Amino acid sequence: MENLKNQIFSSYKRNPVLYDEIYDKKGQVKEVYSKLFNLYGEHSISDFVNLNEKAKASFFNQGITFQVYDKKKTKEKIFPFDLFPRIIPPEEWAIIESGAIQRSRALNLFLWDIYHDKKIIRQKVVPMELISSSTNYLDQMTNIDPPGGIYNHISGTDVIKHNDGQYYVLEDNIRCPSGVSYVICNRTALKRALFGVFNHYKTYSVTNYAENLLDLLETVKPNGVDAPNVVVITPGMYNSAFYEHSYLAKTMGVELVEGRDLFVENDFVYMKTIQGPQKVDIIYRRIDDAFIDPLEFRPDSTLGVPGLFAAYKKGNVTLANAPGTGVADDKAIYTYMPEIIRYYLNEEPILNNVHTYHCSRPKELKYVLEHIRELVIKPVDEAGGYGISIGNRLSSKEVERVKAEVQSNPRKYVAQPILSLSVHPTYIDKNESFEQRHVDLRTFTVLGKDKEFVLKGGLTRVALKKGNLIVNSSQGGGSKDTWVLKPQ
Amino acid sequence: MLARVANNLFWMGRYIERSEHIARYLRVNYFSSLDAPNQLSQSRQFVLRSMLTMVGSPIDDESVLLNEEEVLYKIGLDPNYPSSIINNVRNSRENANSARDLISTELYESINKFFHFISNYDAQVYTKNGLHDFTLNVTEMSSILRGKVRSTLMHDEIYAIIMMGGNIERATQIIRIINAKFIDAQKAQGSYGDKFKNSFEWTTLLKCTESYDMMRRFYKKTPNSITTLEFLILNPDCPRSIMNSLNQVYKHIKILDHGKRPDKDSTAFLVGKVRADYEFKSIAEIENDIQSIINKTLDRLYEISQKMEKEFFSY
Repeated sequence: MENLKNQIFSSYKRNPVLYDEIYDKKGQVKEVYSKLFNLYGEHSISDFVNLNEKAKASFFNQGITFQVYDKKKTKEKIFPFDLFPRIIPPEEWAIIESGAIQRSRALNLFLWDIYHDKKIIRQKVVPMELISSSTNYLDQMTNIDPPGGIYNHISGTDVIKHNDGQYYVLEDNIRCPSGVSYVICNRTALKRALFGVFNHYKTYSVTNYAENLLDLLETVKPNGVDAPNVVVITPGMYNSAFYEHSYLAKTMGVELVEGRDLFVENDFVYMKTIQGPQKVDIIYRRIDDAFIDPLEFRPDSTLGVPGLFAAYKKGNVTLANAPGTGVADDKAIYTYMPEIIRYYLNEEPILNNVHTYHCSRPKELKYVLEHIRELVIKPVDEAGGYGISIGNRLSSKEVERVKAEVQSNPRKYVAQPILSLSVHPTYIDKNESFEQRHVDLRTFTVLGKDKEFVLKGGLTRVALKKGNLIVNSSQGGGSKDTWVLKPQ
Repeated sequence: MLARVANNLFWMGRYIERSEHIARYLRVNYFSSLDAPNQLSQSRQFVLRSMLTMVGSPIDDESVLLNEEEVLYKIGLDPNYPSSIINNVRNSRENANSARDLISTELYESINKFFHFISNYDAQVYTKNGLHDFTLNVTEMSSILRGKVRSTLMHDEIYAIIMMGGNIERATQIIRIINAKFIDAQKAQGSYGDKFKNSFEWTTLLKCTESYDMMRRFYKKTPNSITTLEFLILNPDCPRSIMNSLNQVYKHIKILDHGKRPDKDSTAFLVGKVRADYEFKSIAEIENDIQSIINKTLDRLYEISQKMEKEFFSY
C-alpha cells in the first residue's frame, strides 16, 4: 500500500532552530540516512509498535534491567532503547576517534605529572589551587608509578554535535565510566528486531570491546608476572551497573569478584576460590576510590579490600583505573584541556572544547552572574547530571537561588554557554510517532602500554523528555544503537 | 571458581530442584485425591495437611480447619512464607544473578523468564482454577533449566557444583515426600479395609515423584509399601531414587576432587561412605522401621551439605 509509505515519519515535526541529524537545512533527508529512512518507512505504525514491544521483551528476558523501588515492592525496568539507529559517517568518526585518543593520552600524561614533578603547575599553565582544592586529588598517589605508566586505562568521552555541525567534548569520564555493555546490547536488540537493515550498510562490529580491553589490561601487568590473572571487582549485584560488570567479566572470561572475595597477604592480593587462595595481578575495579581500601581511604567501606592500596604501592597489583584519576575529569580541569593537550603533546586539540567560565575567578564570576540566563551552571565534582542548572529554564526565584549558591561557593561551579545538542528522530511510545529528541555520544577509549583502542561505536544517549538537554539514564534518558560506517 | 560464587551456584541448583518437587507434590496430591478410593484420601483437609507436612509446616492439631485457598496461596505464591514456590524461584534467580558471569546466557535467560512467569502469575486465578496450569508450568520450566544446565555449560567444576546441589536437594525432597506419604498411609489405614501395605497412598507417592510408570514397568505389579520404598530408595536405575542421587553426588564430587584419593575428612570420603551404605542395603533392613531410615537419610544428607560448606564454601 503506497499510502503507508513513510507513514511513521509523516507526523515528524522539525524545529528549524535545532540541528537535525537526518534532515538537512532544506528539509531533505541526508544522503547517508536515505536508505534507512526508506526502509523504516515501509513499516506501518502497528508494525513498529509490535517491533518496539518485542525489543523491550528481549531486554527484559535477558535481565538487562535496573530496579526501582516504590512503596509496595521493587520493580524491574529496562533502559529505554530506541529502534532508529544513529549513523556516524567515516570522515566524522575519524575526527572523534583521533580526538578521543588525543585527550586520553594527554590526560594520562597530565596525571603522571601532577602526581610526580608537577611541571605543568610550576610552569603556571594550570593553577595550583585547581589541583589542591580538588576533592578527587589523592595525596597517597604522589610518586607512585602505576604499572606501564597508565592511569586512565578506560576513558569515556562525551561528545555532542552543536548546531554549527561541529563535535564538542562535554566531559571526560576517567573514573569508572559505564555504559559500554549497553552499546553491545543495543546492537543485539536492533539486530534481532530489524536485521534486514544491516544488509544495506557497512557497519563496524562493537562486540570486540572485551577482547581488546583484556588485551590492553594485560599490557600493564605488574613487573615479574608472566601470565597475569585479571579480575573485575564490583560493589555487588544490587549496584545499578551490575549487569555491565558481569557482562565484562563474562566476555573477558575472567572472574567477577566482590571485595569480600579478596584478601591481601604480604602485600600480594589473593582471591578465595574453592581450591584455596589464588593470586590476582590486575584488577579492573568498578568501585570508587574512596571505597577500595578501608585501611587507606574510607574506614567504613565494606566494598573494598583491606591492604589493597599497600599492595598497589609496592607494584604487586595493577588497578584500572588508577586511584586518583578523578582529579583530571573534574569539570574545572576540563576547561584547561586545550592547554593540557598543547603542553604535553605539542599538538592542537582535535575535538573542540566548550568555552568555560570559572566562577573561582572574580571577573568570570561577574560575567556568569550577569549572563546567567544564557549559561549552563555545573558543579565541578558531580557525575550523572546532578546539580546542573540551565539558565533559560529557571524561574526568577530559581535564578536568585542559583546565584546565591554560586556566590557562596564559587570554586564548586563552572558555567558554559547553552549548547544546542543535535536532535535525532526518536520513537515516542506515548504518541506512536517519531519526534525530535536531543542526543549525545559517549565513546570508549582504552589505553595500554604503547597501545590504544577506541570502540568503533558508542552510546548515543537520548533525552526522552521533549526539549530536555540532560541525557543521563539516571535522569530519564534512553539510548540508540550507533553505527560507525566503514569507509567506502 | 570463587568460594562465594560456588556457594551461590550450589544453592541455585538446590532451589530449582526444590520448587519443582513442591509444585509436583501439590498437583499430584490435589488431583489424585479428587477420585481417591477411600473417604479419608478424598478429604480436602487430609490433602491440605499432607501438603503442609511436605513443605515442612505440619499442622498436627486435628481440630484446625484449613482453608484450601489459603493453603494453596501460602505454598505457591506467598512472598512472606519462606518455603513458597515463588521464594524458591526468587532465591534461585538471586543466586544465578551473582554468578551471571559464570553461567551461560541461555541458562540465565531461562531462569529469568521462569521468575517473571511466576511473579506475574495472578494469585486469584491460581487459587481458584489455575493450580494445574501453574504447577505444570513450574515443573516444565525446571526441566528446561535442567536441560540448559546439562547442555549449555562446560562439564567442569561449575557444572559439578550445580549438579551436586541439585542431587542433594533431590534426595532430600524425595525423602520428605516419602515421609509425608508414609504419614498419610498410616492415617488412611482402616477405611474400606485399606491396609497400610497396600494403601492407595503408595501409588500417589510414585506419581508425586514421577516414578509410577517406571515402577510399573519394573515390577509389573500394583505398588505396595515394600516395592515402592525399594524402588524409590534403593534402585540405582530409577532417576528419582535416593541411590541414584547419591551416585550422582559421588560422581560430581570427584570432579572437584580432581580424582585424588580422598582424605578421610573430605566431602568425597563422606559421600563415598554414605553411598556404599545404601548400595549394600536390602529392603528387608528397611521395611520394619521406615521412620528411622527416613530420619537417618535426612541426617546424612544434611551432614554432606555441611561438609561441603566447610570444605569449599567458607570464605
